[in-house]
Amino acid sequence: MNTMNNDHIKIRVTNLTKRFESLTVLDHIAFEIKAGELVAIVGPTGCGKTTFLNTLSKLMPATEGNILIDGEEANPRKHNISYVFQEPTCLPWRTVRDNVAYGMEIKGIPYKERMERTDRIMDIVGLSSCAHLYPNQVSASMIQRIAVSRAFAVEPDLLLMDEPYGQLDVKLRYYLEDELISLWQKLKSTVLFVTHNIEEAVYVAERILVLSNKPTKVKTEIPVDIPRPREFLDPKFMEIRNHVTELIRWW
Amino acid sequence: MAYEEIAVNKPLILKILPFVSVGAFLLLWEWIVVSGTVPSVLLAPPSQVFTLFINKLSEPNPDGAVLAVHAWTSLQEAFLGYGLSLLVGIPLGLAMGWFKVVEGLARPIFELIRPIPPIAWIPLTVFWFGIGLTGKVFIIWIAGIVPCVINAYVGVRMTQPALIQMARTYGATDWQIFCQLCIPSALPMIFGALQIALAYCWTNLVGAELLAADTGLGYLITMGGRLGRPDIVVLGMISVGISGAILGFIIDCIEKKLLAGIRR
Repeated sequence: MNTMNNDHIKIRVTNLTKRFESLTVLDHIAFEIKAGELVAIVGPTGCGKTTFLNTLSKLMPATEGNILIDGEEANPRKHNISYVFQEPTCLPWRTVRDNVAYGMEIKGIPYKERMERTDRIMDIVGLSSCAHLYPNQVSASMIQRIAVSRAFAVEPDLLLMDEPYGQLDVKLRYYLEDELISLWQKLKSTVLFVTHNIEEAVYVAERILVLSNKPTKVKTEIPVDIPRPREFLDPKFMEIRNHVTELIRWW
Repeated sequence: MAYEEIAVNKPLILKILPFVSVGAFLLLWEWIVVSGTVPSVLLAPPSQVFTLFINKLSEPNPDGAVLAVHAWTSLQEAFLGYGLSLLVGIPLGLAMGWFKVVEGLARPIFELIRPIPPIAWIPLTVFWFGIGLTGKVFIIWIAGIVPCVINAYVGVRMTQPALIQMARTYGATDWQIFCQLCIPSALPMIFGALQIALAYCWTNLVGAELLAADTGLGYLITMGGRLGRPDIVVLGMISVGISGAILGFIIDCIEKKLLAGIRR
């Protein structure tokens, strides 16, 4: 929705290749993401989704290819890249509030602004009531929410999410997916959401990139032009879901 | 949503247990000596040790100093050595855990020195520093530094890789990761080191004083042996034990206060 009037290309990935000795994991991957777009990435199990994200986030050097953010080579020190990991990454010695502010602290955002943004985001995701608690005093879903809030709070150029809700139960996942969409709509971040849950991808994304088996390429991309809020039983929703399932089925 | 913290009280029986075990131990000990199972020339009964304790509070003979002087000498030596081993060992261990260069430089030397028992340094120490305070502090320092280095090193190494990756994606520098993630992650291990190092220091204090001293609790034990007075030996041993336990308890309290934020 908020991308319809903004066709500026934010992320341009060209020729991205990653080899471990003779094993080619990523094979000349190329795609573009528009500013403020929420793109989901799905692919068969073991297709190298995590390697893909690690290369994109620069945690791992690429063998070949470029990742350009606003036309410049991506650099974690210079660009705002956020990464929400599958596993919990809250600092146990910081309160919920200080955890949400942590990313901004590293980025050197001034104290006053940091606190304003923290408060705003905690309000949106409903963390305000437990701002003073420590991570071991809140539930697993809260912990993932903290990580998501921390990632949005730095107002990232690119937000990478690696199956952030993979370990939560269905009800919580629906709830957090809605929360993610509302955060994304309010903050207009550019999000790349990796999941192996096709329904989740169709529910949150504006576009789905389907990856192939190793060596991984972008097999195809599918626009999801369903108005929000989306319904799982909407015939269009089911059509896209079945189409994506057909593309990556490995059974 | 309402969050509430609930304090759980320890049952009374668990609070009493430590006193029961100490009391039973003392009674058994008294009985063994009084009944003649162990002759009193070999072991002094607790009652006799207690009488001597009261006596030694004001009487410097036969070993040359009142108990407080011995204890104070030992405490001074122990604390100097302990403090220095924390001051050097913890930063060294932390740096070895995170900075490859420091690890490469310091680790081989450390691994070589580590297996040498601190009391093996005594002769060299006497050559270098004589029998004064410095030499004993040196021995105690050697003893205390080992657990400090190891625990701080392991503590840094145990930092969750996911946390480090998270910080890296936000663009954190190595120094930021070290200060903001590795050191807090290592804190519980470091507090473990405070306890272990204290125990090592206190143990080796006695060792250091056995050979070269004129006051101190270790010296008291040695003199008791030379004079054939098991009550003095036992008094020295108990003094070492009790003061060590008190120090350990104090550190435990400090640890609980400081680590209140790191609840795991």
